[in-house]
Amino acid sequence: MTALLAVARYELRMLARKRSLWISAALLGGVLVLLQGERGPRSLPAGTPAREVMATWALLFSILMPLAYGMLLADRLVRDRKLRVEPLLESLPHASATRLAGKYLGGVAACALPGLGALLVAATVEVGYRHDPFLFVWALVAFAMVTLPGIAMVAGFALVCPIVVSAPLFRILFVGYWFWGNMLAPGLLPSLTGTVLTPIGDYAATWLLGDDGPALFAGSPGWLTFLRPDPSGATAAVSIAVIILCGLIPLAVTALAGHRHARVTWPANQARPTREISPTTV
Amino acid sequence: MHIEITDLRRRFGRVTALDGVDLNVSGGMYGLLGTNGAGKTTLMRILAGVLPATSGRVLAGGHDLSTRAGRLAVQQRLGYLPQDLGLYPDLSPAEFLDYIGLLKGLDDRAARRRQVDELLDLVGLAGVARRKLKGFSGGMRRRVGIAQALLGDPALLIVDEPTVGLDPEERIRFRTLLSSLAGGRTVLLSTHIVEDVAQTCRQTAVLAAGRVLFAGAVTDLTARAEGVTWEIVTPGPPPTDGVVVSAIARADGTHYRVVSHQPPGPDAVPASPSLEEGYVALMRTAQVAPVG
Repeated sequence: MTALLAVARYELRMLARKRSLWISAALLGGVLVLLQGERGPRSLPAGTPAREVMATWALLFSILMPLAYGMLLADRLVRDRKLRVEPLLESLPHASATRLAGKYLGGVAACALPGLGALLVAATVEVGYRHDPFLFVWALVAFAMVTLPGIAMVAGFALVCPIVVSAPLFRILFVGYWFWGNMLAPGLLPSLTGTVLTPIGDYAATWLLGDDGPALFAGSPGWLTFLRPDPSGATAAVSIAVIILCGLIPLAVTALAGHRHARVTWPANQARPTREISPTTV
Repeated sequence: MHIEITDLRRRFGRVTALDGVDLNVSGGMYGLLGTNGAGKTTLMRILAGVLPATSGRVLAGGHDLSTRAGRLAVQQRLGYLPQDLGLYPDLSPAEFLDYIGLLKGLDDRAARRRQVDELLDLVGLAGVARRKLKGFSGGMRRRVGIAQALLGDPALLIVDEPTVGLDPEERIRFRTLLSSLAGGRTVLLSTHIVEDVAQTCRQTAVLAAGRVLFAGAVTDLTARAEGVTWEIVTPGPPPTDGVVVSAIARADGTHYRVVSHQPPGPDAVPASPSLEEGYVALMRTAQVAPVG
């Protein structure tokens, strides 16, 4: 447990010190605030319930900010090898799965910081306009339901996939996936958009919005119908659980591989190959 | 910690890195010499539990390294400085040591912090304990490396090529530090710099092409060059017989030290050998044909 918390704590510390985390999150968040359009939270009329306001903000930030998190986390696991710290870490008396889990927790926590920060800033601005202190409470709820599961899923894949493909290639594929699997209208092309697997938090945001219809495409007709149930509290919960579980799958596979590697034993003896050491004169 | 290695082998595909290594290492400083590619780092990595062997037996402090339980038991008493260790540039030395201490299981925060401070003081980095590692020189990084290896007061210290790339002053300071640490523990020093072993170790082994060519006292290795070490002064070209170990140009000509079974010239006089000459004599008399 100490090792897990240590890795998580130091991973969080190192990531939180990266200026690129804050700059990229601020840039993407700022672009979204400026270009949010008529469906954005700034267009919501006075008197809109606090939970709808903050759900709309959370969904807005979830459109692009996870791209920054995916980019940032893509080299965190392979970084130990690049920095040549890995041999030392492997010589320490803890399981590689502990290190993996710690990096995951630290990565999620670090990416949650700008995500939560953006929502709290939005809530502060909205409080000045709408005079409803419950906006802060709903900011936290929306963060937990809409933002955090998406970060958890992105973190799982961003940590592990660069072991198989390179980090730059993963980043390219990830951007493609993000727009295909979250924002491409399901009627246009077969896509995961609008399914319970959508890490953008469509189902959770739709439930928080209540009777105002799907936040984006949740439950819209399209490919893989069984993944597109009608939005409700139950399907929002299922979506959150599925999104988090999806992020844990690559971690579990990697941890299992590491565990098998760590359990390797070897025989004491083997037939000697022939080989010559012949004395010669100088 | 006593280490007993029997018929240890490691293959990487068709390449044989270790080919039946037998060694016994007791307490104190133990030098592991060999050329680049001799298998030293592979052996160090197996002893540190980082790399599995293909076959063979390694007992360290009575623990069998071929089992996971044995590896874990050794790792709990191990300090390891890998070859060319990297550090996290965004942490300070104090933070890096705190992190490694936590991973080594040093749970008591106050005791861990105290140990970190003591070790940074020991390696002369107390004044820069809170500065980011990204600005550190090679020597300073090595010192952080040795400090992390000493966390938890390990019974076995494995240091792999610790002085490569250091300037002479830093190298002397580093090996003196290592030597001072060998009092109550086993320090396994892998290097291809013979002088480092000559100055710090009483026991040594020489690896070549994955096999042990020599294991014993440093004085015995030096003795391998007795009767075959010569000094010759000549204004002309270097002697062609044997291996020229050193050449110093002076007013009366160039002073050569040569390892050769025959006198390298009519004016050659027998000389008292150094460890380097013993090493050269050994490597010349055992010509190793690689396998795999």
